[in-house]
Amino acid sequence: MKATIERASLLKSLGHVQSVVERRNTIPILSNVLIEAREGGGLKLMATDLDLQIVETADAQVETPGTITVSAHTLFDIARKLREGSQVEFHAADGRMQINAGRARFSLATLPRDDFPVIAEGELPTSFELSAQDLVAIIDKTRFAISTEETRYYLNGIFLHVAEDGEPVLKAAATDGHRLARVTLPRPDGAEGMPDVIVPRKCVGELRKLLDENGEARVQIDLSASKIRFTLGNAVLTSKLIDGTFPDYNRVIPTGNDKLLKIDPKSLAEGVDRVATIATEKTRAVKMALGKDKVTLSVTSPENGTAAEEVPGAYSSDEFEIGFNARYLLDILGEIEGDSVELHLADASAPTLIREGDKAQALYVLMPMRV
Amino acid sequence: MTDDAPPLRKIIHVDMDAFFASVEQRDFPELRGKPVAVGGSSQRGVVAAASYEARVFGVRSAMPSVTAARRCPDLIFVKSRFDVYREVSGQIREIFSRYTDAIEPLSLDEAYLDVTEDKLGIGSAVRIAKAIRAAIKAETGLTASAGVSYNKFIAKLASDQNKPDGMCVILPDQGPAFVASLPVKRFHGVGPKTNEKMARLGIQTGADLREKDVAWLGAHFGSWAEGLHRMARGIDYRPVRSSRIRKSLGGERTYSEDKWTETDLREALDGIVEIVWDRIAERQVRGRTVTLKVKFADFRQITRAHSLDRAVTGREEFSAIGHHLLDTVMPVENGVRLLGLTLGSLERDGEAEETEQPRQTAFSFD
Repeated sequence: MKATIERASLLKSLGHVQSVVERRNTIPILSNVLIEAREGGGLKLMATDLDLQIVETADAQVETPGTITVSAHTLFDIARKLREGSQVEFHAADGRMQINAGRARFSLATLPRDDFPVIAEGELPTSFELSAQDLVAIIDKTRFAISTEETRYYLNGIFLHVAEDGEPVLKAAATDGHRLARVTLPRPDGAEGMPDVIVPRKCVGELRKLLDENGEARVQIDLSASKIRFTLGNAVLTSKLIDGTFPDYNRVIPTGNDKLLKIDPKSLAEGVDRVATIATEKTRAVKMALGKDKVTLSVTSPENGTAAEEVPGAYSSDEFEIGFNARYLLDILGEIEGDSVELHLADASAPTLIREGDKAQALYVLMPMRV
Repeated sequence: MTDDAPPLRKIIHVDMDAFFASVEQRDFPELRGKPVAVGGSSQRGVVAAASYEARVFGVRSAMPSVTAARRCPDLIFVKSRFDVYREVSGQIREIFSRYTDAIEPLSLDEAYLDVTEDKLGIGSAVRIAKAIRAAIKAETGLTASAGVSYNKFIAKLASDQNKPDGMCVILPDQGPAFVASLPVKRFHGVGPKTNEKMARLGIQTGADLREKDVAWLGAHFGSWAEGLHRMARGIDYRPVRSSRIRKSLGGERTYSEDKWTETDLREALDGIVEIVWDRIAERQVRGRTVTLKVKFADFRQITRAHSLDRAVTGREEFSAIGHHLLDTVMPVENGVRLLGLTLGSLERDGEAEETEQPRQTAFSFD
């Protein structure tokens, strides 16, 4: 194999590919990136952790086609340190891969391509497109609620499913058992009849990075009940789906919460953040006392002292107090784009519904803290 | 006496004599008068209890069986029968409960009783202790030693004073002198290491310890200084807590052959989950932290813990977390001789609501 690629395009592609590779690997070949120099030009770079696989293609001049694997992180580090604008020449022979760029030369250990595991996609019968913008919204407005508890593996991802809500919709939901985030979009063409799927957290993270950098307007999604594939321009991300049953989350979305607070999300978030400074526990509990057209936020720490702040807002129901984890509240408020947010409350121990309005894409449910 | 001195209490510490071994000698007459060790005799076994005949040879509980057999070649090893010990322990506690409800069990064979006010209005701690020892002997056929004093620290020291089948009473005005006369290694918390350190610092007895002030003790023993200072004066205000708050519940197994393979380890862990979860279910405790303990063939020991922000929901999850923790130590670089699993950060049912810590509530999906 012999090929030449520009350092900039190598670095860009490797940047995506290497982040799939786990830092600590017990199977040596999983530390490697597969490089395929294609007949007629172009390099294909591929990495996997057995659950998630990325393939990225880049322009390159190919003299001799061939395929080899080398350490992904080493190659990435080399590419980073090479001079800007340099041409990088790969030459694989006799179990080594030579890299020449300018006056620098490297010879890297390799592993044969035949050992490189490839995720068998199988048939992916459901195919549809989403705009990058919608996909970003799905991810950003739900991913913070994904559970990190590995024992509840079926919550370790974003749940995607289609439904009829007066009109056909695609819903994305994530929860860690304490809060729930859901985004609803019109159902894209081709998504009808799709199986319910749970997209793993790592796949979500890698996809989000690609969306940031790729600048593609549309993303092609193909899926079956066990695999999902995202195609964004030169990058193809394929992931196994979480094999589990996502709980019936609709049951925890309250419908009869009759106490409504309308407030500026920014002022509320800033107030919560300020009073939470005083909290010392790992989970910082903030008390919200609801009164006529205002909320009094307060924190009491046995060691540190107390903090309180009043935030004006529209409220005319009964006065009462409720506690929340400051972090959870800030996560949600941070995703509210408008200048008004609705908190639909019932009592100090019931789930609270948070949304911009009844037409909003995103909806959040937060369980209180007992304080 | 100053005004704010707490009222005088009457505390009894009851300690069964060579409990497990005595039960075995009671039930198997052929063992009587012979050196007996309860526990496995295998390479890996540990002595759980030794009869007085065996103690003469220097056999002690927690000693490796191999060492015990070397010290006492005629030592008879018998398998432990915990169900029987537990039953006898229940009998003893029933006897205690005739006199007081302030019972703090320390283990199956030991308990503190507060008899400042006794149920039968006997009024004398000494007479109650005598009656309890007599009842234990009559109803279980076993002997117990008792220490009678005005706090837990001295009562425990006293029960050890005339063991076996003995009793010792330390009155309030005798307490300081009694403590001063004892070697510090008999004090609670002074193990071989501390004892060695104290010896280096010229402290052999309670009297030696008493000469040191808090600042000096702080310099050498850190945060333990105040505790030592009180101990040296025979002061102990700890109440007898009738239901000791358990902090964790678990179990472990030592294997006769080191385990290496994933299959073997998983199977072994399943066995432990089985045992430990039964205990958890029986006591109806809930806890948030699961800790895996692994001891390797070279005796290196590691623990791995995983905490949830809520209680473990059931056997399945307990098992899943245990196996997940095992993942983090796989593959093992050394044979595994012991595995243990513990549920910690316990709360009792209903207790969560009483705690002052804010608590995150959760959805109920089903």
